[in-house]
Amino acid sequence: MIPLTWEIASRGLTEAGRILVMLAVGVAVIEALAYLILHKWLKLKNALPFMLMLPAFIAVVALVIYPFLFNLQLAFSNMSMYRFKEFSVGLSYGIQNFLDVFRAPVLQNVTFAQLLLRTVVWTAVNVFFHVLGGLFLAILLNRPLRGKAIYRTLLTIPWAIPQVIAALAWKNEFHYQYGFINVLLQKLGFAPVQWLSDPKWAFVAVIIVNIWLGIPFMMVIILGGLQSISPDYYDAAQIDGASGFQQFRAITMPLLKPVLTPAIILGVVWTFNNFNVIYLITKGGPMEGTDILVTSLYKAVFEFYRYGFGAAYSTVILIILLIFTWIYLKVTKGMGEVADA
Amino acid sequence: MKRAIAFILTGVLFFALAVPMGALAQKKVTFTLWTKEGEVTGGVLEDIVELSKEFAKSRPGLTIEVVSYGVEELRQNFQAAAFAGQGPDLLWTVSDHAGPFVAMKIIKPVDNIFGKDFLKEFVRPGLECVELDGKTWGVPISVGNHLMLLYNKNLLKTPPKNTDEMIKVGKELTRDLNKDGVPDQYGLVYNLNEPFFFAPWLGGFGGWPLDGTKPTLNTPAMVNALQFVHDLKFVHKIVPVECDYDAADALFKEGKAAMLINGDWSLTSYQTPEVRKKVDLGVARIPMVSQTGLWPTPMTSGIYFMLPDYLTGEKLQIAKEFVEFISSDKVQLRFLEKHMRLPATASALKNPKIASDPILKGSADQMVVGKPMPTVPEMRAAWDAIRPNQEAVMAGKMSPKNAAKAMQDACEKLIREMTK
Repeated sequence: MIPLTWEIASRGLTEAGRILVMLAVGVAVIEALAYLILHKWLKLKNALPFMLMLPAFIAVVALVIYPFLFNLQLAFSNMSMYRFKEFSVGLSYGIQNFLDVFRAPVLQNVTFAQLLLRTVVWTAVNVFFHVLGGLFLAILLNRPLRGKAIYRTLLTIPWAIPQVIAALAWKNEFHYQYGFINVLLQKLGFAPVQWLSDPKWAFVAVIIVNIWLGIPFMMVIILGGLQSISPDYYDAAQIDGASGFQQFRAITMPLLKPVLTPAIILGVVWTFNNFNVIYLITKGGPMEGTDILVTSLYKAVFEFYRYGFGAAYSTVILIILLIFTWIYLKVTKGMGEVADA
Repeated sequence: MKRAIAFILTGVLFFALAVPMGALAQKKVTFTLWTKEGEVTGGVLEDIVELSKEFAKSRPGLTIEVVSYGVEELRQNFQAAAFAGQGPDLLWTVSDHAGPFVAMKIIKPVDNIFGKDFLKEFVRPGLECVELDGKTWGVPISVGNHLMLLYNKNLLKTPPKNTDEMIKVGKELTRDLNKDGVPDQYGLVYNLNEPFFFAPWLGGFGGWPLDGTKPTLNTPAMVNALQFVHDLKFVHKIVPVECDYDAADALFKEGKAAMLINGDWSLTSYQTPEVRKKVDLGVARIPMVSQTGLWPTPMTSGIYFMLPDYLTGEKLQIAKEFVEFISSDKVQLRFLEKHMRLPATASALKNPKIASDPILKGSADQMVVGKPMPTVPEMRAAWDAIRPNQEAVMAGKMSPKNAAKAMQDACEKLIREMTK
């Protein structure tokens, strides 16, 4: 390994400093122009709020809206390896790309429908256990407990270590002969499992890892929610003779909803699009058995150079997530309460 | 307010003027080299950094920035950068990237930049790997990148001559030392599910993934080769039930495997003082396939300089000089001595050190029977068609015959989509 010398560190800091200065200059230029146009020339009353929002707005356009529109353009293009720089854009290419998503296997054997079903199972199982595990641990941590800070720190470790490292460490733990899980299974008297060569078990393996990784986030969020519930409600309920479960159902759950709803939406979107865990542990294999929508998308684009198809495919995934979010918000009315609160 | 605006505008003007003025005054050039060398390839990356510093001394004001990426990362990042028309000034990468890069028109042919006389210095197999459409698209840094048989002399005195012998000694050396029903020492280990590690066997049975750009996967040679690797695991049981690259590497380093199939890039890592305690390294050809009498043919490729399409002017000149510097006998021999990389120039390959070192000699001996890895972009489709079906055979879930057919179908489909 190349050691981190003072020279390398100072070069990195100079580079970072230069970028900061350039950003500051850029913002100053934009603000100066905005001041001249909005305040001096157009004499707008609300010039100041517009000026304050402008840098963030430009950043959103550059980093979100422009790439999104470019992706849409690619979805209607024939861009591929042989047409990398000189691709053409047209409605017929777009129709072809979108039809291709549904009518042929996306990779070699798995079709879009199979991948979608698998992604839904992957997301539902993961988020269910994230919430369940997070809720359980958060309730435990919300009680008077000796050494609470230590437990809390230990429990957030999976979230704190980089996913890449966690995933690769887990990959080794699933090794048939030397992995911890099979060693444990054998000690308990079970037969060892071919975690990484059997597609069914490989899918279970990646789900286990992702559950482990995702619980701490939910735990932290739910714990925050629990701590914001006034103890008065519980006191009153106890006086009325409510049992622990009744208190949980009638006080804890409803009051947690404003916190849980956005957390679940985030959890679903993240899990639905979770690429790291699967790609690092199984690369979608064996036999495409652990590929979900995003990993197959990645392969189509970066291994087979199907840029036009990939852009259309990613748009389809985005639409699925938008529909989910919309329905979820309708059903739970979760965000409404956040806004009202 | 006015005063504040005036202040800001003055500041902006000052910066706008100061930045380019500063650059002019110092006349600095930063030249960026992207390399696929990194953590796994031992001290090569450090050496490149050292060499680039040495080279930069000859040109005042020049800084060479060496950026290390994984092989796949390098390909993807360069594609993205080249699409935007900017990125590194020079690539230090593997030959198989040439195929897609040429198709995408993002690298330059090197024939006119370096001239015939310069390219003549390199060994033919080295140049062949990067010749497409009658042009040369890279300058070799080192040739090889081939798999070979590594064995631990503490467990196995002489390497097997053919596969029958390999299976026989493999069975003797696969032992359950602690009597728990699972072997803890293996006859042979290698990355079982990886197509690159399957390619030598395919060649040994007389097959090859592509004929030009046409897939040739549904062949008797493929069926026999798949049957052979299947039997190593399920019939002869001389390989572990699950074995990826890291597991094979770890088992061999710990002296728990008699034979290992691995590439020339790994040679130095088995000769560190720590590993030497358990491993007395020997290098030989992968044993001849008894059934066919053919030597397995590991894919040979190599490491190459490639020049981005957008490179011009001063940067192009620096790239040319840097490439010439690395191709000099002095640097080529340094790579041979320090990293056991076979040189790419004919003159450096004649060095007596290769003949006198048993490990280098074994590596060179294996390379002679290797076959250049196809550089055409269609090879990517072949890899991806082989992989899941090879996995299925190695999991005992598909017969070699069906797998060969599935590979052919998948490969044809993938090529159709790639070239659409």
